[in-house]
Amino acid sequence: MAAAFLPLVPPLNEGRFSTLLGALGSLLAFLAAAHALLGGVPSHLDFHFWQGPARLELDALSAAFLLPLHLVAGLGIIYGADYWPITLSKGFGRSLRFFFGFLVTAMTLLFVTQNGLLFLVAWEIMAISAFFLVNTEHHRPEVRRASWVYLVCTHTGTLAITASVILLAHRLGGFAWSPLPPGAQGSLDVWILVLAVLGFAFKAGLLPLHFWLPAAHASAPSHVSAILSAVMLKTGIYGLLRVSSLLPGVPAWMGGGLLTLGAMSAVYGVWNALAQRDYKRLLAYSSIENLGIITMGVGLGWTGRALGDPWLTALGFGGAIFHVWNHAIFKSLLFFGSGALLHATGTRDMEGLGGLAARMPRTALVLLPGVLAVAALPPFNGFLSEWFLYRGLFASLRGGDAWSSGLALLALVFTGGLAAVAFARFYGVIFLGTPRSEAGAHAHDPSRLMLVPMGILAALTLGIGLLSLPLLPVLDRVVAVVAPGQALARGLPLATLVGRDFRMLLLLEGLLLVFGGLALAWLRPGAQTAEAPPTWDCGYAAPTARMQYTGSSFAEGWSVFLPGLTQRVRSIRALFPRAHSFHTRIQDAVGDGLLAPWLERVAARLFRFHRFQTGYLSVYILYVLVTLLGVFLWLLLRARLSL
Amino acid sequence: MSPDFLIALTMLTNFTLVATSRVNKAIQLAVFQGILMGLIPLAMGLGKHTHILLLALVAIAVKGGFIPYLFRRALRQVKIRREVDPYVGYTVSLMLCAAGTGLSLVLAHALPLKAGTTPTFLVPAALATLFTGFLLLVSRRTALTQVVGYLVLENGIYLFGLLLVEEMPVLVETGILLDLFVGVFVMGIVINHIHMTFDSTDTGFLAELKD
Repeated sequence: MAAAFLPLVPPLNEGRFSTLLGALGSLLAFLAAAHALLGGVPSHLDFHFWQGPARLELDALSAAFLLPLHLVAGLGIIYGADYWPITLSKGFGRSLRFFFGFLVTAMTLLFVTQNGLLFLVAWEIMAISAFFLVNTEHHRPEVRRASWVYLVCTHTGTLAITASVILLAHRLGGFAWSPLPPGAQGSLDVWILVLAVLGFAFKAGLLPLHFWLPAAHASAPSHVSAILSAVMLKTGIYGLLRVSSLLPGVPAWMGGGLLTLGAMSAVYGVWNALAQRDYKRLLAYSSIENLGIITMGVGLGWTGRALGDPWLTALGFGGAIFHVWNHAIFKSLLFFGSGALLHATGTRDMEGLGGLAARMPRTALVLLPGVLAVAALPPFNGFLSEWFLYRGLFASLRGGDAWSSGLALLALVFTGGLAAVAFARFYGVIFLGTPRSEAGAHAHDPSRLMLVPMGILAALTLGIGLLSLPLLPVLDRVVAVVAPGQALARGLPLATLVGRDFRMLLLLEGLLLVFGGLALAWLRPGAQTAEAPPTWDCGYAAPTARMQYTGSSFAEGWSVFLPGLTQRVRSIRALFPRAHSFHTRIQDAVGDGLLAPWLERVAARLFRFHRFQTGYLSVYILYVLVTLLGVFLWLLLRARLSL
Repeated sequence: MSPDFLIALTMLTNFTLVATSRVNKAIQLAVFQGILMGLIPLAMGLGKHTHILLLALVAIAVKGGFIPYLFRRALRQVKIRREVDPYVGYTVSLMLCAAGTGLSLVLAHALPLKAGTTPTFLVPAALATLFTGFLLLVSRRTALTQVVGYLVLENGIYLFGLLLVEEMPVLVETGILLDLFVGVFVMGIVINHIHMTFDSTDTGFLAELKD
């Protein structure tokens, strides 16, 4: 049990030893979290911090977040050893490893602390180490820009969280976090929750506050993107769950509001994912989508808590937690895979790739489950957590807030469909067809150290999809922490009710697999096919790679619906021009389209203060002197006036 | 010696400091003022507290011994004798210093201080010294005289601290001394670097470093 409190050793020194140590630390913490989840007895450690009692506690909710953290961290450390070797010249491998360890330790502390101040400290360490991780390749200007945007955003979010934590301390009578008894409603509760939503939404990348996310995830090294997307974004969800679990109740309108917010983020995220050319940005937008889905679960759970409906509460929170796990697994798999692609081809542009299934067969094989899971197709794990949400939304249509749940239901359907299109495009353009440029022509599979973590994750996506029944009581235990004194009133609703669903689904999936396998064996072409022509050959005499569908043409029909997403730049200059050229640029409708121009106007207005910075030390001291004299004179005058 | 006499000497030193153009003399005056700072608490009869006695001795040792040593070393390296062309001329500086001292006398009356055993001139002298330090920092060009201004500024703060010396923990006082020592030390290094880079100790060249 105590192993979870062991901070992960930041792997500093060179060589395999540090990798081994880091992976071992993660393994210990992972086992401790699993033990806490299965055993269900929270263990804790009390001490004093800043003249106040502080407590680290490993309860079911903490363990539910520690589990994906240490799974991804441990595999990420192994993967990173080969992906970003410490000996790489100009690779900044040392700082990368140092801050990776730091980030993991900070998040471990964040998930187990039961003290507001300690929570904020861990939050800041996490945010800053993530900044240094994103900034690893700081010799490239776009990376620097991405990391600075991230830093500003995370600190703006911290501001709201700090306010929320202070109000919470006022409410609880101290920074120590212990749940208030139900029925002790206070007028501050709504403000605490609103500020918490504002601050944590920045971290979770919910709709209007998501704009830092795609650039930061695309710029970071891939195993860092994996941990950022798989775990760090979820700290926002964790914060929402933890803060709301301390309060006696949640107003029903906040549940509906969060549900709507999540639905909007999900649709917006997947729509943008569809249009991206950069495959790492595509994955980042898909993270926005999935965080939106998780937030929908939290909103549903809040509605259930407000209405006192244990079935809805369990479905909402259970679905959210389950999707946190599933998203952590398949998204880190996809980011690891994107790292392998980047490693092999050196480009992040999908339009330059193609036909990699023949050149990187193992990578293509292990990525396929991830792609199917993110598209929420059975029998993979992404499907099951969305099943929770569908059940919850239908239940809420009858008993809860019909408007928001109806809209959210439509959004979820829409998101699922678009995600399938987006990832069909992702997989099809990158792995099928023939190479579109030199970069993809000589690609090769990565080394075993990179493939094995991906293989483990791929096995988990299928394994959880097929063997999810034992997980249901565990989810019930987590829900009991998130919604204290409610879900346990009627036994374990998830284990009994969803269990029935899952048994039926399992049967259907089993049948599907069996028949699918039989059909595949039956349809398998025999030895009579003489030669395999290149894809898209179509009988032309001289086929070229440019005849294939491109990623952009695949997405063209879908992306026109979202205004402000693509920006066409045409340059046609003559009356009867001969050669035309135009190119399209994809931007973020909210971030680049609305916020960036506004910020530029503000910055231009603030630029006039620049002349106060003369560069002369004497002048700066003069400012101090003038201020000091001003204060003194003001004191004098005040004394005179009061006399 | 009565404390008022030493305080008056301090204020006179202020005037001489802003009026002198020779770097060497400015340094000597600052050192002299530093030693006065060490003597004032003794003259105020605070020597009966062991920690204040110790502190005064350390202050005399640092301000009268170690800092002049650092200055002499810096002077040898940069070979500067006079402050030529300051931002504010000597006559104007003298008048400003007089105005500042006058203002401090007025201000000291307006400040809501605990009436007690402290010498009458301690608060105005502290404010005047503070002001002089600022004036030197703002109006002088060479890095060496700026360090002198910094020292004088610290002396003003120290004088103000004497108001509370009986209540103030020894840690705070030693903190101030350490701060001073580190400040001078760092500035010594900065002086050397400005000199090496620009072949002058004119801090105006540092303006080239702004973005």
